[in-house]
Amino acid sequence: MKRKKTIKIKNIMIKIPVFLVLVILALLVLVPVLWMTLSAFKPEKEIISWPPTFIPNLFTFQNFSDVQARINILQYVLNSVIYAGGTTALAIIVNCMAGYAYAFYDFKGKTGMFLMTLATMMVPFQVIMVPLFLVVYKMGMYDSYWGLIIPRVAVAGSIFMMRAAFTGIPKEMAEAARIDGLSEYGIFWKIMMPQVKPAVITLIILSVNGSWNDLLWPMIVTSSTKMRTLANGLALFIGQNTIEYGAAFAGALISLLPMFILYIFGQKYFVEGMSSGGLKG
Amino acid sequence: MEKMIKYWNKPSRCAYVFVAPSIILLVLFNVIPLAMAFGLSFFDVPITMNTAEFIGWGNFVEAFHDARFLNSLKITAIFTGLEVPVQVLGALIIAALISKNNKRNKLFRAVYFLPVICSATVIGIMWRMILHSNIGFITAILQSMGLGKINFMNTPGLTLFVVSFISIWRSFGISAIIYVTAIQQVSPSLYEAAEMDGAGKVRQFMHITVPSIRPTFWYILMTRFAGALQIFDIIYVTTNGGPNYTTESTVSYIYSRAFSSNSSMGYASSMSVILFVIIMVITVIMYRKMNKEE
Repeated sequence: MKRKKTIKIKNIMIKIPVFLVLVILALLVLVPVLWMTLSAFKPEKEIISWPPTFIPNLFTFQNFSDVQARINILQYVLNSVIYAGGTTALAIIVNCMAGYAYAFYDFKGKTGMFLMTLATMMVPFQVIMVPLFLVVYKMGMYDSYWGLIIPRVAVAGSIFMMRAAFTGIPKEMAEAARIDGLSEYGIFWKIMMPQVKPAVITLIILSVNGSWNDLLWPMIVTSSTKMRTLANGLALFIGQNTIEYGAAFAGALISLLPMFILYIFGQKYFVEGMSSGGLKG
Repeated sequence: MEKMIKYWNKPSRCAYVFVAPSIILLVLFNVIPLAMAFGLSFFDVPITMNTAEFIGWGNFVEAFHDARFLNSLKITAIFTGLEVPVQVLGALIIAALISKNNKRNKLFRAVYFLPVICSATVIGIMWRMILHSNIGFITAILQSMGLGKINFMNTPGLTLFVVSFISIWRSFGISAIIYVTAIQQVSPSLYEAAEMDGAGKVRQFMHITVPSIRPTFWYILMTRFAGALQIFDIIYVTTNGGPNYTTESTVSYIYSRAFSSNSSMGYASSMSVILFVIIMVITVIMYRKMNKEE
């Protein structure tokens, strides 16, 4: 009895510091995000007053109209939606098709093509960014939606992931559909795609998160103000020396919100997708 | 028309239709640019991009005499040295503490993962303001503790540590979650057996968890290494290389030489190639070591 008690006390002695460490780390994440969120609703005057406040004394939406007055943030949102939406839609089609072919068909040159695809995974984006810019420029896609989207569609990691998902489906299923007279494309679209829904959702989330938050590529491939995406337009905005802090907070909050909503609803897929190898940076 | 559809409906042929888009896109936007990166590095390309003059190893010779490039390599190395151990070891310890599936741990995981959905821009705005010398609340807290006003973003010698911290803040959650997934795959019977033998939590961690998740450990080590060597966006949105180039990473320098007024595509490419070789050498060394251990 006595021994049991000492173990219990010992357990608590470990558990409390562990819990404290976890809580401190959580606060380290939450407090900055919360402070930024609350600050977006403070009047400019309160933001620059010293000492700074945590909870706004006065709630206002002024910063949101200010940011629209300074930079055309609605246009940036639209561009980001087109960039993220376009990239994701095309990425699903292209990468799923490729993953399916590598999983289900035997064809000449398959191994070579697959190895080449995997090899592109090894090349850091920063190494190819200069010539990639030149290629896009020479193709006449510079400073356009096509230039933003098309080079980011085929992703070796996604093809690899989809191949793994399709490999899990028994081949007899395709045979049965073939006997029923369905074309190869019909089999892929109507029979196979619904089977790999979780993988597709993961792919969508990874792709949306990646392009919504992408900074470097939009900076390289666009130049005009009206082509800027949210991430890169805001980055340029805060790069200027004369900025309104409230507007910057409001802009940051606007850019965070869609991802946050996606995160809340797709958390299971979000976390699983990220940990199954689709990580960046 | 019908003939054509029938022709392409053969499994052996339609496979090419399925892989063609990805192959074409990857060749156009990955393979060709990679080949060009090597080619360009031997040329002098003016900003007009109309001509290209072959200059052999000239760009590489220039790079190794360029104080700003050498400085950027040093900055990148320091940054990597600060970030990688925390990501690889710190995240592992935290992951072990939150790997059991219960409500409390799920909540912690969700919170730690939150920075992953924030863009570098949002993180830049947030931390610049928090550490701002006039409006930042951390500055205010430190001042009230009698530490004086610290200008985190503009103090040579200090700012690199601040940027490294922000970068760790951003991706600590991913590393931890990947570890959690790996730890959960470890057979529970191993822990039960250890419990019977009276092994404490720390010993279970050292003798069961760590050996069991070795592949994940190597995976994180390699990807974090490569990622840290390519650090760019967090620097761009926090200090943009300043003050006085004390936070300018190699990719930051490559970017500014490729896409600014003193642009030189050939020179930027040669620096990219040098960085690529460094990343490759380190990756191969680690990969060999990993295979030896397995």
